[in-house]
Amino acid sequence: MNRANEIIEKVGTLPPLPDTAMKLIRVVNDPRSTVDDIVETIRYDQAITAEVLRLCNSAYFGLSRRITSLNDAMLCLGTVKVLQLVMSVHTTNLLSREQSGYGMDPGVLWKHSVAVALAAAQFAGLLRRANGSLAFTAGLLHDIGKVILNDYVAEEFTVIVRKVKEEGVSFMEAEQQVLGFSHQEIGGLIAERWKLPENMVLSIRHHHLPAELDPPNDLVDVVHLADCSCLMFGMGIGVDGLCYRADPAVLSRHNLHETDLEKTGVQILVDVKRVEALFTTPPSGDRLQSVSS
Amino acid sequence: MDRVVDIADFAVSNDPRATLVTYSLGSCIGVAIWDPEAKVGGLLHYMLPESAISPDKAKANPAMFADTGVPALFRAAYELGAAKKRLVVRVAGGSQLLDDNGTFNIGKRNYVMLRKIFWKNGILIEKEDVGGSISRTLRLRCSEGRLTLKTRDGERDL
Repeated sequence: MNRANEIIEKVGTLPPLPDTAMKLIRVVNDPRSTVDDIVETIRYDQAITAEVLRLCNSAYFGLSRRITSLNDAMLCLGTVKVLQLVMSVHTTNLLSREQSGYGMDPGVLWKHSVAVALAAAQFAGLLRRANGSLAFTAGLLHDIGKVILNDYVAEEFTVIVRKVKEEGVSFMEAEQQVLGFSHQEIGGLIAERWKLPENMVLSIRHHHLPAELDPPNDLVDVVHLADCSCLMFGMGIGVDGLCYRADPAVLSRHNLHETDLEKTGVQILVDVKRVEALFTTPPSGDRLQSVSS
Repeated sequence: MDRVVDIADFAVSNDPRATLVTYSLGSCIGVAIWDPEAKVGGLLHYMLPESAISPDKAKANPAMFADTGVPALFRAAYELGAAKKRLVVRVAGGSQLLDDNGTFNIGKRNYVMLRKIFWKNGILIEKEDVGGSISRTLRLRCSEGRLTLKTRDGERDL
């Protein structure tokens, strides 16, 4: 079997996103959804409910009373934060493994993904052109293709890096030239296979090159800006570093300036530190036992 | 013993066992200072050039910006007995995304601001490794002032 076929075949072996995550994405993508729909979606997933309650009761939030139900959690922290928690927890397994081809230690890709997710939510708010929770999820999954392409990048690492250094191509272009696929194309295939909403498929497939789309797409623009920002600020970057193209047309399209990138950068850092602290702070009081699913 | 200097963070030490380390410098800049006589080392990892875009955040965390982070780093080193005239200053970071228009040029502006601050204060950069599109890690050993720079191409002294 040639390598291209092998890579495509491997896409088929990636386990699906957990049920709750898939349902949540559908709920978030539907403008008619309500808080009750979200509670309803999470309620039956005991493991995730236990984890959300554990995180809510962690010392980090410093709440004066104990959160014992999802409704409570939504009231205290807000729907957006709870959704972000649930999606972040759901992707930990998938994204936390070492990605040696990209020179990423365990946890680094997840860290980058969560940073881009938080940044995408910030940019969605700034532009008022995309749903914040959808942007968060799109950001969280934007690099999912790396999980599959990693082994092949590792095999051809020397050739890929030589191309980047000597020919001035981006890391993604080098992936495509050497392996036949880039991580954004593979990510797009995975997103299709998972039956993610079309906007989200597009934002994963074109996050490095929004200009590939005509007409442009707001969610793609948001994820592109978020990824560029997190790469610049070194939030979970690997050996591919900053060797990716940034599209200035996205800035002019939304009437953004350098200072907007900087101001949003400050806010992204605050958000990233908040979430990092949350996931590293031990819970206060007795810990709820996670129910295994 | 490693003290990790996070993004928008700085540390100084006169403990000979201390190593100050900062990872994943992209467009951000790492400033390492060392006084060979007082054996004081310091490392700053700032993310943006000017505090004017967010004075509140700068007050809470001066290390976020060049114009507030650099003075904070030097002041903290002076408090441990370092003297300006003896300080060896080395700099790394300021990478850029591939962007022909140079709009996403936070790395470059970070570096220009640093040069401006140093020029105003009569501080010379002894060594530097800036620009390009790579990620950098810096490690400063406070006992001997040895600074190592790690990139995808390997590790070397700076």
